[in-house]
Amino acid sequence: MRIDDDLLMALADGELDALTRARVERAVAEDPALEARLKVQRRLRARLADHYAPVAQEDVPERLRAMLETNVVSFAPARRARPMWQNFAALAATLVIGLALGRTLTTPGPIGVERGTMVAQGALADALETQLASAQAPDAATRIGVTFNRADGRPCRTFDSAAVSGLACRGGDGWQLMMTAAGSGRARGEFRQAGSAGPLVLQAAQEAMAGAPLDAAAERRARDSGWQRSETSR
Amino acid sequence: MQAFERELLTLLPRLRRFARALARDAADADDLIQAALERALRAQAQWTPGTRLDSWMMRIVRNCWIDEIRSRVRRARTFVPEEEGALVGADTHRDIERKVEMNDVDRAMNHLSSDQREVIALVLVEGLAYREAAELLDIPIGTLTSRLTRGRQALAQMLEAA
Repeated sequence: MRIDDDLLMALADGELDALTRARVERAVAEDPALEARLKVQRRLRARLADHYAPVAQEDVPERLRAMLETNVVSFAPARRARPMWQNFAALAATLVIGLALGRTLTTPGPIGVERGTMVAQGALADALETQLASAQAPDAATRIGVTFNRADGRPCRTFDSAAVSGLACRGGDGWQLMMTAAGSGRARGEFRQAGSAGPLVLQAAQEAMAGAPLDAAAERRARDSGWQRSETSR
Repeated sequence: MQAFERELLTLLPRLRRFARALARDAADADDLIQAALERALRAQAQWTPGTRLDSWMMRIVRNCWIDEIRSRVRRARTFVPEEEGALVGADTHRDIERKVEMNDVDRAMNHLSSDQREVIALVLVEGLAYREAAELLDIPIGTLTSRLTRGRQALAQMLEAA
């Protein structure tokens, strides 16, 4: 087997499959000239890593931090005196009354009340139950944002639609709404950045999240298993 | 701060390292990050939650850098002939400062073409797999490895000689 520089570099970069790697390593062991060339590649990699590594240890300049820290929507609370959930409960309660009054007489809206709990119904419930954030149509009426597990293992999802956005967690046999806020159809252009699920919703999700959000594969698994409570709550 | 901004904040150290490898010096690199953050905050809606924010953001940094290079080339074409005299005097001081601060690696990186420098930055500095780097740059993997080979040979030559 002829060993060219490409193969030596791929070896140094950890890009070879096990079989090829074994072959190249054997050839290198038998040939001091090859070994010297491989060393050049390893030295280069180490030197670059060593040269740039300290940059990631530096303090990030204030002007860059400030761009992110001050990009706060105008009504997001800067400091929280009491747990966010209490605020959300109050917000959600006022909204659900409005929605219930406005909707129950005509067509069923996205939100209902069952045994004193706010739950998703109709198209919203369907979207929460079946739609994958990783594969949703751009014009889907409800957009699923992030899916994650709460500390008690219940799966939760953020959603956004023209009328209502919010955070729902799977409980019992449906989706309980932990909080709701006006949907992007109404608030767009006022305080919110277009397309985001809204700062309150994201903040609530951030607060409730245990571990990292589910990636596309984990989201699909959770849906396919019927949104069972996850056993490993971190 | 929202989750999006918070996650960007935790990525900043890595992004600055990537920018330092792409750009000429620390000041350019942080200007680049600033431009990239502005773009990212405007384009937030285009990021799909649950997908990798680091790759998305590195792509933006890289695209901002390409734009910056292009506009520098345009500026140079437009202004250099009539202002050549003035620029030479003004630039010398900064250039000397730069050279003093720069070490061999910076100098060697500056000799690479921007195509080579970006693949070196992604694979050797940031540690991306070939496939990840090729996806981020939207190039076939064969193109990536040939740029990587040429860039590396050039770097090795300069640094081993030094």
